[in-house]
Amino acid sequence: MFTGENIIQIVSGFLHWAYAQVGISALAGAIDPVITAIVMFGFISVFVMFLVWMERKVSAHMQSRIGPNRVGPFGLLQTVADAIKLTTKEDVKPVNRDKIPYFIAPIVAFVATFMGMVVIPFDKGMVVQDLNVGILYIIAITGFTVIAILTAGWSSNNKFALLGGFRSAAQIISYEVPLVLSVVPIIMITGTLSLSGIVEYQQQAGYWFIFPQIVAFIIFITSATAEANRAPFDIPEAESELIGGFHTEYSGVKFAMFFLGEYIAVVVSSAVAVTLFLGGWLPVAFLGFLHLPGFIWFLIKLVSVIYLVMAFRWTFPRLRVDQLMDFGWKVLIPLSILNILITASVWLLLYGKGAQ
Amino acid sequence: MTDLLLSQVKVGGESQFGTDEYVVNLGPQHPATHGVLRLIVKLDGETVKETVPVLGYLHRSIEKICENRTYPQCITYTDRIDYVSAMSVNYAFALATEKLMNIEAPARAQWLRMIFIELQRLASHLLWMGAFAGDIGALTPFLYGLRERERILDLFEMTCGQRLTYNYIRIGGVMIDILPDFVSKCIAFLDYFEPKIDEYEDLLTYNPIFLERTKGVGVISPEMGINAGVCGPSLRGSGIACDVRKQQPYLYYDQVKFAECIETAGDCWSRYKVRMREMRESVSIIRQSLERLEPGPIEAKMPPVLKAPLNSEIYSRIESSRGEMGVYLVGDGTAKPWKAKFRCASFSNLYVLDQLTKGWKVADIMAVLGSLDMIVPEVDR
Amino acid sequence: MGILKYFKDIFSGLWNLLVGLSVTSKYFLNFKAVTTQQYPEERLPLPARSRSMIKLIYDGEKDQFNCVACLMCAKACPNSCIKLEGVRQADGKRRMTTFKLDFSTCIFCGYCVEACGFDALTFVSEEYENAVYKRGSLLQDEHAMKWVRQAQPIAPEEQKKETVIPAVVGA
Repeated sequence: MFTGENIIQIVSGFLHWAYAQVGISALAGAIDPVITAIVMFGFISVFVMFLVWMERKVSAHMQSRIGPNRVGPFGLLQTVADAIKLTTKEDVKPVNRDKIPYFIAPIVAFVATFMGMVVIPFDKGMVVQDLNVGILYIIAITGFTVIAILTAGWSSNNKFALLGGFRSAAQIISYEVPLVLSVVPIIMITGTLSLSGIVEYQQQAGYWFIFPQIVAFIIFITSATAEANRAPFDIPEAESELIGGFHTEYSGVKFAMFFLGEYIAVVVSSAVAVTLFLGGWLPVAFLGFLHLPGFIWFLIKLVSVIYLVMAFRWTFPRLRVDQLMDFGWKVLIPLSILNILITASVWLLLYGKGAQ
Repeated sequence: MTDLLLSQVKVGGESQFGTDEYVVNLGPQHPATHGVLRLIVKLDGETVKETVPVLGYLHRSIEKICENRTYPQCITYTDRIDYVSAMSVNYAFALATEKLMNIEAPARAQWLRMIFIELQRLASHLLWMGAFAGDIGALTPFLYGLRERERILDLFEMTCGQRLTYNYIRIGGVMIDILPDFVSKCIAFLDYFEPKIDEYEDLLTYNPIFLERTKGVGVISPEMGINAGVCGPSLRGSGIACDVRKQQPYLYYDQVKFAECIETAGDCWSRYKVRMREMRESVSIIRQSLERLEPGPIEAKMPPVLKAPLNSEIYSRIESSRGEMGVYLVGDGTAKPWKAKFRCASFSNLYVLDQLTKGWKVADIMAVLGSLDMIVPEVDR
Repeated sequence: MGILKYFKDIFSGLWNLLVGLSVTSKYFLNFKAVTTQQYPEERLPLPARSRSMIKLIYDGEKDQFNCVACLMCAKACPNSCIKLEGVRQADGKRRMTTFKLDFSTCIFCGYCVEACGFDALTFVSEEYENAVYKRGSLLQDEHAMKWVRQAQPIAPEEQKKETVIPAVVGA
């Protein structure tokens, strides 16, 4: 049976054999990360393309339509066709833009979210870099998107874009707080910030954290949706109000980078949710007889969570900017603090001092 | 024109920080304005200070064109005044002309007109529901609304051959009798449609986000509504009975049972509720009308050339899908109206937009505009 | 009370969100609920009454158009988009020589068809793809609009259309 660790061993064994053949074994330490990054990038690109297709299909069937069905089987290659279109089309730029920020913003938006993938454990040992402060790292690095969006909004020199940028700044800063607070109970229980460590704790404990921490899960999903600027929290790009919001003036490849960034943000936050609350690569208890490899379980859970996020988008109306702030500060933050308090008390009662 | 309007908006406030007001042009090309309406919005951050609608981008001088067309030919232009609810406008003009010339349409024609006008009200409210939900960010109801509207349009096409600009309700009757299987198809549609209204209500009515966005937003007080000439479902949301079907029954509305839908809060949610309830009432009116339908002629006896008496004038009003639709005609003894004036609900409803959005957020402009059910060709004509 | 209401609001809100999600999920899971028609492949037959294209009826047996150039259609047209000419033939009957209909201004109101007392103009429902690449192609003459009535005539109540409605014209 393949597991994530086996695959990693086989591949790295093959790579080192190949290095030895070519005679660059000494450089292995330098080349390995490059290869990992390329593989990661390829995987994420394909997965995001699949997600875009999935979103279209999900929304289509929710609205009793068919969705893409022309390019490739079931329209699977539609995203590829769109990507080709976006990369080959003319890059229309506003004359009075602020040139350097205008150029940098989409790159930052893309890279910031993409970097989050580094610490996601797809399977036991199948992780690019298992940082011992993984959660902290993810929260920090995804927070960079606000800079990108604010920069994009400002440098486009467009009134709608600027409004979108400001909205985004207010929104992302507000929703970082409940996002972090909702994760705190789990860190308290497990005593580790490493994502793999949290999954291993769930394995030993024999339950997933969604069961004791359902409130935290709901808060996390909600704030993660807001962090990724997805509907019903998509006020920075609110189509019916601000046309395109911060990316009104972006076209071609630059727009594609914002677009990809949004989807990668969804993947990252859903992956974190799967890791923290749904047991990461652990098999689903009553389907354990299937003996699937861990990363397949992980992907199944990931797609389910992403479906939930998509269903939100295609069902709910959009909140207004001040209601969004109200919701964040008056509902999510008090609830998550209460959740921390209750978790801590219960834990103290059950296990006494120094429970680990 | 633009300079004039911009000077009214006055760029540059008196804030002590020396900040400028933020003037944003919503439209004429904008995803949320349902056509080519242009709004000059003066903002303070996200807060709206003033909204100035700029009209005329869709002005086609239909009223002037009508002065150069015979009365039957004018009907083809009334289709284009409110293309979402063309049957109602068809009938508004036909009713005014009939009153002007003392023509009485036969009973079957009247029942047919009622059926088609109420079906049209369903179609119009469905489109409105979708567009309103789309304005505040929910995209799925739009597709649901259009899905059911298609089936209504199928019924129209089956009967009169067109899906949008029908030219079906004529002076003195209707264009053509219904097909034998129309009644059964119509009842089948109503049976299919009624549970769908519950579905829309599940999707929207008590959705907390929808409630947040619409409850208490854009409140039209009864006084404000009457002073500004707001009419139709938008005024009924403020608790004022103003349904022309009840107040001055035309067709056979006095012979069918239906309730006038009134909500009291006057906010966007009330207007939404009024229209959702009206859909149910329309279904019941159609059912009753189908039962009362009896064979008979569909066209009154009329001279081949319709001429209005000299110095005759008439103002008649009906309840179109958007509110009171009035037609004012002056006859001069020829076959063409000397003057035709359409009093359209969208135009008078749009008047309160500035008062409703002052002090609210940008996003509320869309919610209020959507809840007023405005159609740009009816504003500009 | 305030605290209770706070939590009650959150729970009722969550519940109503779930109700909304159940509606969309129901459609997502019901793959047969698709209403899309894939147009170029799936062509729906239009109803017989469909006002999709105006045609000049051509009598194959007599080898001539039914039109006698009485100009009733041109008078009935609200947009004056019909132009036609006719001549008196040797046998004393009028025949149409040229007929031009500008479809760029035609609004398919149907008055010309109703006004015609000689069964010369008709709507057809088979031809509804009226888009063209050049604006000039919209100005059609009698050759482009020639249409031979099929062996099976339209349903009886369709033919009654001309008799039921009196000609609505004036000027």
